[in-house]
Amino acid sequence: MSTHITVDPVTRIEGHLRIDVEVDGGVVTKAWSSGQMFRGIERILQGRDPREAWLFTQRFCGVCTTVHAIASVRAVENALKLEIPKNAQYIRNLIVIAHALHDHIVHFYQLSALDWVDVISALTADPVKTSALAASLSDWPGNSTSQFQAVKDRLAGFVAKGQLGIFTNGYWGHPAMKLAPEVNLLAVSHYLQALDYQRKANQVVAILGGKTPNIQNLAVGGVANAINLDNDATLNMTKLYMVRDLLDEMKGFIEQVYFVDVCAVAGMYPDWLKVGAGVTNYLSVPDLPLDGKGATFEFPGGTIFNGDLSHVTPITAFGDPYFQKNVSESIARSWYDGDWQRHPYEEDTVPKYSEYDAEGKYSWIKAPRFDGHVMQVGPLAQVLVGFAQGHEPTKRWAVKTLATAGKVAGATLTPAVLHSTLGRHAARMIRCCVLSELAGKHWSLLAENIGKGDTTIFNEPVFPNGEQQGFGFHEAPRGTLSHWIVIEDGRIKNYQAVVPSTWNAGPRDAKNQPGPYEASLVGNPVADAERPLEVIRTIHSFDPCIACAIHTLDVDGHVMSRARVL
Amino acid sequence: MPATYVLALGNVLMSDDGLGPAVLRAFEQHYVVGPDVLVEDLGTPGLDLSPWLADAERVILIDTVKAPLPPGSIRLYAKADLIGRAPGVRVSPHDPGVKETLLALEFAGRAPRQIALIGVVPAVTTMGLDLSPAVQAAIPAAVEAVVSALELAGVRVGRRPQPLAPAPWWHAGGAGTAPRAGAAGNPARP
Repeated sequence: MSTHITVDPVTRIEGHLRIDVEVDGGVVTKAWSSGQMFRGIERILQGRDPREAWLFTQRFCGVCTTVHAIASVRAVENALKLEIPKNAQYIRNLIVIAHALHDHIVHFYQLSALDWVDVISALTADPVKTSALAASLSDWPGNSTSQFQAVKDRLAGFVAKGQLGIFTNGYWGHPAMKLAPEVNLLAVSHYLQALDYQRKANQVVAILGGKTPNIQNLAVGGVANAINLDNDATLNMTKLYMVRDLLDEMKGFIEQVYFVDVCAVAGMYPDWLKVGAGVTNYLSVPDLPLDGKGATFEFPGGTIFNGDLSHVTPITAFGDPYFQKNVSESIARSWYDGDWQRHPYEEDTVPKYSEYDAEGKYSWIKAPRFDGHVMQVGPLAQVLVGFAQGHEPTKRWAVKTLATAGKVAGATLTPAVLHSTLGRHAARMIRCCVLSELAGKHWSLLAENIGKGDTTIFNEPVFPNGEQQGFGFHEAPRGTLSHWIVIEDGRIKNYQAVVPSTWNAGPRDAKNQPGPYEASLVGNPVADAERPLEVIRTIHSFDPCIACAIHTLDVDGHVMSRARVL
Repeated sequence: MPATYVLALGNVLMSDDGLGPAVLRAFEQHYVVGPDVLVEDLGTPGLDLSPWLADAERVILIDTVKAPLPPGSIRLYAKADLIGRAPGVRVSPHDPGVKETLLALEFAGRAPRQIALIGVVPAVTTMGLDLSPAVQAAIPAAVEAVVSALELAGVRVGRRPQPLAPAPWWHAGGAGTAPRAGAAGNPARP
């Protein structure tokens, strides 16, 4: 006999995701992922000046602000075949990096650590042993016995007052919780320290972007950061050195704390390196351009099918035809009128809500496909696509991660273990380590270019009459993001955003192929149907952000209240 | 670090949900504050709110709230209302951000010493750039509530002799006012 479990909602940040699973004999046999919130943001852009689209798109989602700004200006620049100055590219890259570092740290410590860490168990930890354990893993200065004792005392005080507050949603005492009390205390301490690094990343974005979380410095054609090394009001050496210091401090935390914590969790939950793979087709676009045109990139892009790392079809440049040709979205199982599968330029969508029907339509999210295939996007796709193409820093950090986690697990780990729930966490950390390392390189590229006397930041866009189409992609923290624009006589005629959480959280399609969330849940253990922690673990490993996944035209002013989330 | 933060929450693309940013614009239009006060439109940052609130002396938040009152009603909440379990108080739609952030900061021992939330009850929170009439009409009173909260805390607030130009960029009249190259403001400190 099977049990049906509905987990609603799953995301702890903006948006509303519902997951339904059927469990038979303690194992998930079928799963459905449903976006429960309807929005219609892209229509706001129609008829507007393409130069200001990014100001609106960065408000799609309060958490993914800069990524939608970057994808938008890239889309317009692609439509105009407009090259941007090198300085502008490097400044954008540094913002992209700082935002991603921030996002990954927040995801691990604030949004998903409680899936693995039993906070109450930390109360029985020995601070001396915790400190000794920490010292065996890294030489981070924030790991002293007195610091662990202070965190333990604070936690005890909270529990004594019945004030569990932030941890109320944790599944402590669950049979799937396996960490030793000392590891739990270590993680709680680092959770508290992560806050300061969240702030440092924000400072980098604020210095370069004018403000955070909604940056002000972008422009179609470049950036608005006037550069004058002798002027306090512009980007100067003082500000550049502030940026470098902040990035260096973040690098310390990422390499000595985040890296170690993820390796420890992965090594202590080796079973979770065996489940949760789901879809092993991966898509990742190139990012961190090294020139003004977007012809050469730091990170390679490409597609991998059926987990076969020996065959990568590369995606190499902005405007890449392989990418452009193959993206489509299906609404066969989504609450829109029709059952077509179309290219983003040609989408014409009418909402049509019906009952939740697992055999029919059941989600507001559309189902993106690549040449008809379901694709997984996100850090795992980024790391595998990089690894398979021999991207040196990705390969180095991946090997180091597998060795370190393997040592904790007492086993030899191969790249194959990355196709899993904890593999996604490991990949996110690997990507974060690589980005953090590359921050220094891109800072130097900017500083050296300015040092040569180049202070150009902007190439004026010119809008010809008639129609132009363009798309901009960005490998955002949650994966491949693309914005598609149709411009007519200098105004926006159509705009579509195909976002990472749509690729991953989308429903089935006309061929009944399940989306990546759905496929990844099949085979997951569920020990206690009342507390489906294991389902949450796998879904959180994707870092869901549903606020920006639900995005279609609001034609008839359909009224839906905003969902409340955990 | 500034001692006082005036922070607006809400999504300007979701009708009345953009109340916070609209109040903040109106406040900046009519008033000036010193360098020890940071005024910022944060959108809907979720847990990214924490670096703004950590270690702050005092914080004034402006947001929409769910309350059993007619649209446009203004309610004031103190710290205890936000982190306690006071009946009838459901701070939404950004609850996960505000409440979880405050609880996390309490645990870290880094919550703001004083916190006030100026809440306005929304009518419509679907996609759209305009506020409903009831919520639009509440803006002047909400701005005065911000001024009162600042003055109560001993923060000096000056009235501008001439108000700044009104339309925020996301409103219909704002088309064409997007910042262009060279127009970036000074960096804010989170």
